[in-house]
Formats: sequence, structure tokens, C-alpha cells
Amino acid sequence: MDTADLSHHTSRRFNEDLERVRTRVLAMGGLVEDQLARGLTALIEGDSALGHQVASEDHKVNAMEVAIDEECSRILATRAPTAGDLRMIVATIKTITDLERIGDECEKIGLIAARLASVERPADRYREIKHLGRGVQGMVHDALDALARLDVEAALRTARTDRMIDEEYESIQRQCITFMMEDPRSIRRALEVMWVVRALERIGDHAKNLCEYVIYMVHGKDVRHVALESVEHEISVHAAERDQGAR
Amino acid sequence: MARRDWLRLALPVLLGAGLGLLAGLPMAEPWLGATVVLALLLIVHSWRLMRMVGWLRTDTPERAPEPGGVWGDAVAMVVRLYRDRRQQRSRLLRLLRELRRSTAAMPDGVVLLNPNAEILWFNRTAGRLLGLRGRRDVGQRVENLVRHPEFADYLRAGTRAGPLPLLIARMERRLSIQIVPYGAGQLLMLVRDVTRQARLEEVRKEFVANASHELRSPLTVICGYLETLVADESLPPDLAEALQQMREQARRMNLIVSDLLELSELESSDAEVQGAEIDVGALISQLVCDADARPGRHAELTTSVESGARLLGDHGHIRSAFRNLVDNALRYTPPDGKIALRWWVDQDGGWFSVADTGTGIAAEHIPRLTERFFRVDAGRSRAAGGSGLGLAIVKHVLQRHGARLRIESAEGRGSVFTCGFPLRRLR
Repeated sequence: MDTADLSHHTSRRFNEDLERVRTRVLAMGGLVEDQLARGLTALIEGDSALGHQVASEDHKVNAMEVAIDEECSRILATRAPTAGDLRMIVATIKTITDLERIGDECEKIGLIAARLASVERPADRYREIKHLGRGVQGMVHDALDALARLDVEAALRTARTDRMIDEEYESIQRQCITFMMEDPRSIRRALEVMWVVRALERIGDHAKNLCEYVIYMVHGKDVRHVALESVEHEISVHAAERDQGAR
Repeated sequence: MARRDWLRLALPVLLGAGLGLLAGLPMAEPWLGATVVLALLLIVHSWRLMRMVGWLRTDTPERAPEPGGVWGDAVAMVVRLYRDRRQQRSRLLRLLRELRRSTAAMPDGVVLLNPNAEILWFNRTAGRLLGLRGRRDVGQRVENLVRHPEFADYLRAGTRAGPLPLLIARMERRLSIQIVPYGAGQLLMLVRDVTRQARLEEVRKEFVANASHELRSPLTVICGYLETLVADESLPPDLAEALQQMREQARRMNLIVSDLLELSELESSDAEVQGAEIDVGALISQLVCDADARPGRHAELTTSVESGARLLGDHGHIRSAFRNLVDNALRYTPPDGKIALRWWVDQDGGWFSVADTGTGIAAEHIPRLTERFFRVDAGRSRAAGGSGLGLAIVKHVLQRHGARLRIESAEGRGSVFTCGFPLRRLR
């Protein structure tokens, strides 16, 4: 009787631990989303103070990564999780690494925004960057939503949008090259803009990684470096097998 | 149980027993006859009871058996109970459905949370504004989906002063979120889309700032020419008089415009100012010097600086707020009155007060004093000068320092204006 109660108690505590880690990862995601939004605002509005603020607050993201990492190690050491729980911890450790990288890219955007604030803004007020930024913001947001809901379909859908981000990245790149050829005085700004666009494209890649970790967490499939179509196929097969097993 | 029911139960038993006794008499076994008849009666009753139980088990009131006798009454009563309950249930269901429909149609978003901040229920508007989805998100912790850092802080805060403004940059939307506790630790979360209001407010602020700025340059020109014209002694005296008045009014207009500009600058941000340490004692003696430098006789100023504590704030704003309070006191206190400036610190915070022995303010006017251009007595106040924006500036400055203004006044005896600063603003 006592032992049964104890095991029940431990497993509840364990579940609480896991749930707390999840909430903290998503809180870190929220912070990163906020950093990204403010970095883009700083660039588009030409607000150098905001840019510096974004750059100086990257340490918060880093601190969260370290704290969650420690928590995960503690759970691994003390609870020795298996199966789904183990996958969750492993995926969490990877997720926070990618989130931290996104934070670094945001810091970069903030710094460039602060530098560009003193340069005259282009006539289109960075319309292309704004559009690309919205796309990337949406991707990070959807990836984190998929993580919160453990929604594989949404994760796949979000991972697929990365291709659009990449295409947009290339078209802005071409556009920048044209600007530089037309007006050599704009080279400095165009180069800085290229850095921002590059950072945004990288953030899109990291968001795609987040989606892959969601799939790994739910299905136990490692889908990195695999074409999305075959991933879909594998997942449908896996889901069918699981349904059969359940029956 | 009514007497009739007793009769209906007891009569067959007595009659049956009597008949049995009579039928048994010829065989000299009257008890056996009575026993047989009573046993038959018991079988009939049992059979009816079985039918009723069997029917109750099937839960189909419309196919009620008709066993007759007392059992028939029992069945009829059960059927009535069934019907009543059904009606009640459908009424409740209808009410519930109406209730859910009306909350779903509400223009504001509503989310119900349990004490762990897990979503219990939300309406359509909340789903749209916060990006929540159908049944899937019920049971999910709300901060997992609304991931803004300020929201997490707001959710965890024990006491919430007011709604939290939230900027959803991704959708270019501004939301106002308020969390109200109810029941046993549950939380009611109200979400309002304030994008339009925020935009209007921005337009209004910008308009005031731009208009004041545009008014300033023509005013400067007018003031400049008036100054030189007034100094010209060759002008006829009646014209000089007119020019003198024009100069006074132009100065007043200048004052209003610069106060409007200051207000719009204060309004441009809601964030609390950090600022640097201010030596309040030195600031107070500076205020007294400024007052003494004013032309004409005025009420006597006394100061009492009871604490060496420094105030953390924006020097320019704080000086402007304090000066406005002193100006007001000078304006409404006769020259033989007294004005006392005081700075002290207690366990609640730091306090700066200006007490005068002036005309005082009627109680009904006090809540409106900090409104822009509010005048207790339009004619007299305007003659006393001032822009009518002074206390509005004071209020905004204090707001941005996390401080508040307390006004006590007795008509005919004087007023006390006190600024209360929180302890975290003291050094």
C-alpha cells in the first residue's frame, strides 16, 4: 500500500517537473519572440535606443538556456526518464539551443538597427524586410505553438514555410545587389541590410529545427536532413502502425 | 401516506384473509385457506413490483406498465417525476446554451482559467485574438500559448492594479488583458482589442504636440515685436495701454503653449522614469528664491526640510511639478497669508507638501482639479494668470514617478497639496 502510494507520489512529482520544464521552455520562446519583434521594430522605426536595448537583453535568453539545461540534467540524473519522457528531455535540450541561437540573431539585428538608425532610411522603409520579418515571426510563433500543443501537423506545415522564407531571402539578396550597382553610395546600408536578412533567414532555419524536435518528441522519428515529403509519409505509416497497435 | 392508500392496501389483505378463512371452514382448515389466499395476493404484488422494477431499469418513461392498484399509482407518480425532471433539464440546458451562445457572441474575449492557469473555457473572440484553437487548447497552460514575458509577469503577480496592455507585433494588434480572480482561485481573463483606440489616442497626442509646436513660432514673433513696441515711448498713452495688455496676453499664450508641449512630452510614454538623485532641500530653496524674485508682494514662504533623503527622478520634471504647486499657492493666497513647503520621510515613503492659507477649494471641485483647463471660478482664476494646465502637469509627472497627489482643502482656510513618493524612489 505504502509503496504504491510512494510511486504514485513520485510519478506525480516527476510529471510536475516535466511540465515545469515545458512551461519554462515556452517562456524562453516568448522572450525570444519578444526580442525578435522589438529588434525588427527598432530597425523599421529607426529607434537606436530600442536596438541597443534588444542587444543588451540577450543575456536574459542565455541565462534561461543555462537554467533550463541544468534542470534537464538534474531530471536525467535523478529520474532516469525513459521512452517519451526521455525524448521530451532530449528534444528540450536541443530546442533551447536553437532558441538561444535565435536570441543571438536577434541581438545582431538589434545592433545593426542601432547602427542603421543614424543612416538615412530608404524610401520604401524596409518594406521587404518588414515582410520577411513578419513571415519569420509567424514561423517562430507557429513552431512554439506546435511545441505547446505537441501538434505534429502544425509542425510539418510550419517547417514547410521555411522554403518560402529562403526564396524571399534570395530575392532580397538580388534586390540588394541591384541597389548596390545602381547607387554605390547605398552599399554601406545594403550590406547592413544583407546582414539582417541573413539573420532572419537563419532564424527561419532554427524555427524549422524546432518543428523537427516536435515531430521527434511525439513520434520518436529523427527527421533532420530528411526531405519533408518522406517525413510525411513516414509519419503517416507510423501513425497507422500505432493505431493498429492500439486496436 | 393518505388514508385512502392504507385502505387500498389493507382492504384486499383483510378481504382475502376473510375469504380464505371462510373457504377453509368446510375443510376444517381455515388458516390454510387464509394462508393460500394471502400467498396468492403476495405473488400478485411481487409480480407487479417486478414489472415496475424491470420498467424502471429500462429508463423509458413513455412505455410505462399499468399494473393497477397501488402499484399503478406508484408508476404514475414516477412517470410524473420523470416528466418534471426532463422539463427541468431541458429548461436548464436551454438556459446554458443561451448563456454560452451569448458569451460566445461577446465582442470581448473571455477565458476561464483554473488556479494553475490552465484554460477551462474560452469564447470565440478570445480564440481569435489570442490564437487559441477549439477543444485542443483546453487544459493547456495559458502562458504556454500567450508567451509574452510581460503577460507571464502579470499572470504571476499577486495584485493587479489594472489591465495589461499587450502589443501583438506579429498581427499589429494591441490588446488589453485583465485578469480577475473568482470562485476558489479560478481566474477570469478578459481580452479586449484596443487597436483602434490606441491609434486614435496616438493621433490625438500627435495633434496636440504638433499644434503646440506650430503655434510657438508665430507667437515668438508676435511677442518679440510687442516687446519693442511697448518700449517705444513716442506712442500715444491709450495705444501704449493696449500694447501693454497685448503683451500680457501674448505671454500667457506662450505659457499655455509651452505647458501643452510639456504635457504632450510627458504623455508620450507611460514608462516610469528612472532619472538621477535629486537633492530635495536644494530644490526647495531654489523654489523659494524664484518666488522671491517675482515682482509684487506675495505671501510669506516658510520651508521645513526634515529629511536628507534624496529623491530618484527626472530633475526637470520634478522641479516643474513642484514649481507649479508653489505657483498655484502664491496665486490663490493673499499677500498677508502664509505658505509652508515641507519635505519629510516616513515608513510609507517620501512626502513633499505645499500648505497655504489661501482661498481653499470646495470639496466638489477637488476631484476635477487635475483636468486640463479646469477652473473653479472661471473669471477670477483667469485674472490670476496661469495656463490652467499646471495641476495636469503635476499629475502626469507624479504618475511617471510612481507617485500620487493628495489634495486636502477647506474653503476659506487654505489647501494642502501633498506629493507622495514610494520608498523605492528614495536614496
